Amino acid sequence: MGFLTVLKKMRQKEKEMRLLMLGLDNAGKTTILKRFNGEAIDTISPTLGFNIKTLEHRGYKLNVWDIGGQKSLRSYWRNYFECTDGLIWVVDSADKRRLEDCRKELHSLLGEERLAGATLLVFANKQDLPGALTAEEIRDVLELEQIKTHHWQIVWCSALTGQNLLEGMDWIISDIASRIFTLD
Amino acid sequence: MSIVGNISHKKSGNVGNVAVRQAKTRKDSILDAEPLTEEQLLKKGSVSPDDVLRLPHITENYLCSPEANVYDIDFTRFKIRDLETGTILFEIAKPPPADTEDNEPDPEQEESDPNAGRFVRYQFTPQFLKLKTVGATVEFTVGNKAVSKFRMIERHFFRDKLLKSFDFEFGFCIPNSKNTCEHIYEFPTLAPDLVKEMILHPFETRSDSFYFVDDRLIMHNKADYAYDGGLQQ
Repeated sequence: MGFLTVLKKMRQKEKEMRLLMLGLDNAGKTTILKRFNGEAIDTISPTLGFNIKTLEHRGYKLNVWDIGGQKSLRSYWRNYFECTDGLIWVVDSADKRRLEDCRKELHSLLGEERLAGATLLVFANKQDLPGALTAEEIRDVLELEQIKTHHWQIVWCSALTGQNLLEGMDWIISDIASRIFTLD
Repeated sequence: MSIVGNISHKKSGNVGNVAVRQAKTRKDSILDAEPLTEEQLLKKGSVSPDDVLRLPHITENYLCSPEANVYDIDFTRFKIRDLETGTILFEIAKPPPADTEDNEPDPEQEESDPNAGRFVRYQFTPQFLKLKTVGATVEFTVGNKAVSKFRMIERHFFRDKLLKSFDFEFGFCIPNSKNTCEHIYEFPTLAPDLVKEMILHPFETRSDSFYFVDDRLIMHNKADYAYDGGLQQ
């Protein structure tokens, strides 16, 4: 039995996944994380570090890492890449002015070797806001169709109302599970 | 932070990380390794994660001095919530430094106990032991140095029985950051006899929380627990 097989078997037994949630500041990462876990979302302030949640969902143990997105913090993102199974990229769909910045940051992440094995979920967040671009429009602006190196999907959502968060999470979990946990 | 964890979760602390997964396998075998007494450990001088995992009892002493925390890691909030009802069961937050001067000095602390702040006493009602799904949050700030390989090991005992050993690696912490971590977990179904004993004997349920940076112990906090709230006058 090869080393990789042994590792995969260990992971299969534990059914554990590490999800890394990144995006520009004010994209709604922490709100998504809290809303998904049934916590109040009325007192959220900018994340100046990380927020971690460990939880069980659909029989998997999820470790979700939400790292602050302010420009001064982005150089620290690399410290959290190791062994990430899924990358959740959160976009403020109404912040048209910064979509170009958003595209650049995302594509630079996708070139990172340590994220090479990660599934990508893009949350087109803030769909509750008037003037928010649709998921299709976000897909085009972020040039997602160009991505050939990662499994990816874009899902519209509203962290405020909670709409579609579960659908997005379920997709990324299923994709990771099909890549990692079904080997034999 | 967590109050009583699942016995079957004994080996569940972790990080989604291959290197640590391997380390964890090692750790599991260490759990079966020879127990280490607190006396042996104090003589040894330095304390590693593997050492504390081998302790068979709750500690009598603090295994490091308050000055060992050279990274200025400061726990600023603890919160426990019940996910079934969404209720916050317990929350304690440290006031920001500027506010503390306004507070009346606690007469019991005027002697300035060097271990004040390292010990917490929790008093719960028996209902607490019947919870199903619990979320335990800690919030902490980090000083102006980056912290690498920050790891927490928390061990809960009722008398000499290990109820839970919780092991989690936060990893890297950004300088001057404020961070939170919530563990959401299924509360165990404890044997009815054990529950009865735990309720009857307040503060005999105790925990040690050990914090490591680069595998060196930098903080050691203790807590004890009563579950007889509302049963006495």
